[in-house]
Amino acid sequence: MKILRSLALAGLALALLPGPARAQTDPLALEIIDEFDRMMRGESSAGRMRMEIDTENWSRALEMRIWSLGTEHSLVRVETPAREAGTATLMVDNEVWNYLPNVDRTIKVPPSMMLGSWMGSHFTNDDLVKESRLIEDYDIVISHDGPRDGEDVWEFTLTPKPDAPVIWGRIEQQIRKRDRMPVWARYYDEDGSLVRTMNFSDFRVLGGRTLPARMVMEPTDGEERTVVIYLELEFDVGLDEDFFSLRNLRARR
Amino acid sequence: MRSRLPTLAWLALRNLGREMRRAALTAAAMAIGLALLIVSRTLSDGAHEDWIDSGVRLGSGHVVFNAPGYRDSESLEDRLSEDQVEAAFAAVEGAGLPEAVLTSVRVSARGLASSPDGAIPAWILGVDPAAELPFSRLGTDVLEGRYLEERDRLHAFIGQGMALRLGLRIGSRMVLTAQAASGDIEGQLVRVVGMFRTSVPEMDDVLVHIPLGTARDWLGVEGATSVATLLPHSTFTGQVHQAAAAAVQSSGVEVTPWEEASPELYSAVRIDDAGDWAFHLILFAIVALAILNAVFMSVLHRKRELGLLRALGLSSRQTGLVVFLEGVLVTAASGVIGVALGFALVWIFFRNGLDLTGLMPEDLSFAGIVFNPVMYPVIDVRHLTQSLFFIAVIGVSASVFPAWQAAALDPAESVKVE
Amino acid sequence: MARRDNDIWWRMAWRNLWRNRRRTAITASALSFGFVAAVLMIALMDGMLEQLVSNGTRVITGQVQIHADDYRPERSMHDTMGGREGLDLAALVGAAGSVEGVTGVAPRAYGGGLISSGDETAGAVLMGIDPRREEGVSRFGTSFVVGGMPGPGEIAIGNAMAGTIGTAPGEEVVVVAPAADGSMGNELFTVSGIFRLGMGGFDDAYVLVELGSLQDLMAMDRSRIHEVAISVDRADQADGVAARVEEAVAGLADSLVVEPWSVFHEQLYFMTSMMGAANAIVAMIIFGMAIFGVANTMLLATFERRREFAVARSLGTSARSIVRIVVCEGLFLGLVSLGAGALLAAPVVVYFHEFPLDLSSFIGTYSFMGSAMQPLMTVEYSWDGPLVSAVALIGTGVASALYPAWRAIRVPPADALASR
Repeated sequence: MKILRSLALAGLALALLPGPARAQTDPLALEIIDEFDRMMRGESSAGRMRMEIDTENWSRALEMRIWSLGTEHSLVRVETPAREAGTATLMVDNEVWNYLPNVDRTIKVPPSMMLGSWMGSHFTNDDLVKESRLIEDYDIVISHDGPRDGEDVWEFTLTPKPDAPVIWGRIEQQIRKRDRMPVWARYYDEDGSLVRTMNFSDFRVLGGRTLPARMVMEPTDGEERTVVIYLELEFDVGLDEDFFSLRNLRARR
Repeated sequence: MRSRLPTLAWLALRNLGREMRRAALTAAAMAIGLALLIVSRTLSDGAHEDWIDSGVRLGSGHVVFNAPGYRDSESLEDRLSEDQVEAAFAAVEGAGLPEAVLTSVRVSARGLASSPDGAIPAWILGVDPAAELPFSRLGTDVLEGRYLEERDRLHAFIGQGMALRLGLRIGSRMVLTAQAASGDIEGQLVRVVGMFRTSVPEMDDVLVHIPLGTARDWLGVEGATSVATLLPHSTFTGQVHQAAAAAVQSSGVEVTPWEEASPELYSAVRIDDAGDWAFHLILFAIVALAILNAVFMSVLHRKRELGLLRALGLSSRQTGLVVFLEGVLVTAASGVIGVALGFALVWIFFRNGLDLTGLMPEDLSFAGIVFNPVMYPVIDVRHLTQSLFFIAVIGVSASVFPAWQAAALDPAESVKVE
Repeated sequence: MARRDNDIWWRMAWRNLWRNRRRTAITASALSFGFVAAVLMIALMDGMLEQLVSNGTRVITGQVQIHADDYRPERSMHDTMGGREGLDLAALVGAAGSVEGVTGVAPRAYGGGLISSGDETAGAVLMGIDPRREEGVSRFGTSFVVGGMPGPGEIAIGNAMAGTIGTAPGEEVVVVAPAADGSMGNELFTVSGIFRLGMGGFDDAYVLVELGSLQDLMAMDRSRIHEVAISVDRADQADGVAARVEEAVAGLADSLVVEPWSVFHEQLYFMTSMMGAANAIVAMIIFGMAIFGVANTMLLATFERRREFAVARSLGTSARSIVRIVVCEGLFLGLVSLGAGALLAAPVVVYFHEFPLDLSSFIGTYSFMGSAMQPLMTVEYSWDGPLVSAVALIGTGVASALYPAWRAIRVPPADALASR
């Protein structure tokens, strides 16, 4: 479920590994996170998504097929535009490979380029594979509990633990109570300035589950953004780890 | 003949005395030339020592200990074990320098530094603050905040350039990412405690100091990637390098002098030395010609007088000797005056430095070499002896030709009325 | 009448010079040697500066560069010259190339990307070049360890990077680069050669790709480039050439910036200014010593003639006439010796200009700005140096002859005659 977690829920980034210092974190937050954890763990999924990227210099839209298994395996293959059709990315554990149909080669993204952009989007390669360890890295408290704009919500504030190797000063997330879906996540630096925002919308039933089908990632400075829209999604599609192989990365299908 | 030498010297001295003006002019040319040589020699030796000093302080010291292969790979795989670090320490102590040698144990890694503003390449040095402070001196002139201290753990001392590019301030958190000894990419949180600014912008953009213990835990290493040593003066490098290399040979440690570790610096010094040689050569030639002219002119002028000496019974050799001795006496006198004058100037520069601030920007570095606008002379006995020797050779040899001319005078011809 | 009067003084001075040939020879030798020393020193220092600038600019950057005004410092691939539409490349190269003082014009484009061979991948700066045009600007062409410059569909890689990713000429590598339209450009390139500039920061980070191939890879029109590097025949004339190039290319696109190396290579500029200042001090010292030597010799030579002047005075020659004769003599002597000096200096200067002295056997090769260099001792031609030296030396000669002459004629003739 890495793609989902990284792209769709990068903000909520529901950390699935129980951290050692739960005492600091609000039990309710833990419960919500654990619920997500159970929902995603060990799952296989397959679907299609559309990614729209707007930058200062160009705009483009890609449609791709996605497959994932649990938290450590995912595969993405571009369908349109035709010029890039077949381009694929395989993510296994912390490593990223790209397949380039044009030249029929597979390239492993070197460590020094992991912080580079993925497919020109506002996500880095690292965003896609980073072991999200929210519970380990942050103390999570409920900073608001009640209605906001007519919707009953929780707002979590995530503050990094003293030693946690994370760059953010604070993350805030809003989750609506009725279906426990994320509404937005806001990333602040230590001075309290907003650096980037993820907005979730278009909550729909996909593959039998309610999910935010549209995610918008916007850096605060400038007019740029990346939008991810799930077109189709199915769960329990019966994939195993063998599926996420370099051979399958190359296969045109 | 031999017993006559004092008499001839006396004669030469009296001749000089009678011709004070000419003697003074000749001596002045030599004395000023010598003084200039001494000043320029000591100042350029001083400048070179300064380049070397600032270069090795920011680099790996005068002599550095590494595991074999590390200098090429710069990989944590090629690191020194704890025993090897101890062996390096022992080797430095065993080199037997009279003065204190500074050593700094370092764990070095190339990686990334990131903040909400972005990620940039970083050169991360894990250091022992107490040992590193007097070594690199980055901490003695802190721009903001303070240097690392003994009990620091998650702290970082960074350059101004990095702070600007990552939007960091004192107390800001940043994440360092590098490949650990295990091969995995590991992140490490640190907080900025202080900032430095060197004259080398490339350094200010990438260099990060963190506590040695933190670096070891983060990267999963014991021991170090290098043990750098700073000697009291660069001239000790060869001696220490040899002694240390012999001492650590059995432990499989590689010892490298700064000339090899910083070839750019070494070539800059050599090139500048070559330039100095050209300059000194021309200066020598001019001084030599001035002396030759003066002595030559005096022979010409005193044709009659020298002819008289011959007529009074001095052999042609003795007449020549008188002229030669005159030259030697002038050389000796101007040598003394020149050295005195030179050292007086050196002393002034020694106390105040030769301040070229108006001629160059204050933070000038080029190809990683720092140029300090205030130059301080350094007295290198070998270089000074060379200069003195050359001046002596010039003075003496410039007296030979006129002496030969004087000896060849035809007494009858020369006493004729012009 | 007045003219004939003058002639007499000149003729007398000329004869006087030849009367005591030995003294004249000594004095003339001081003057001409001083001249040779000063001229050589200045030429040598100009040569050192030229070497420094040349080493700093002739390897990669050229001495003048044209960019879009918003290209630096971010160096975004979108900020091409002439904006998104680009410009008429042939016209630009032609216009810049026809400017006086320009010896080479090379258009370039840059990109960032990944180079991959087998299992190994490395990040690289892609530099799109016109191999033929680079010959006149950079040293890429002469720095190949094996193979040569890239043609269309080819790539040249630095030896350090070639070692990292393990490739050799004739093999194929994959190049992936973010393109101007946001897509991932990717293409197979054949390695045309392995170069070694000796620069750590270049050999392990830059690759050379034929310009058109890079533009295709990055989905950029052929009219879009990031930089034009220009070489000039003399680096110290770069400012003037830059101004003329700016004029020549002004009509071709909006907001082009033409900069000489002193602007885009600021550190090198500081370095040369500092070296220039240090050289000025050294030149002053050498010059001072030369003047001192000349003055010294002239003083001695003229003091020696006190009696002669006294005799002339007592025979009724006016003080003015004596001064005039000394001045005339000084001028003659100066002209003759400077002529000799020039004859002596010219071949040396020409020789070292044409055949710089290679010091590598003396101090070995050295690295400079990360680049391995031959230590050459070369000299530069200049008119200022010799002119200033000539005027200063003749002036010194005349002045230092006048002083003792003046002293001599002020002493009553009888005393001067009696003194010896």
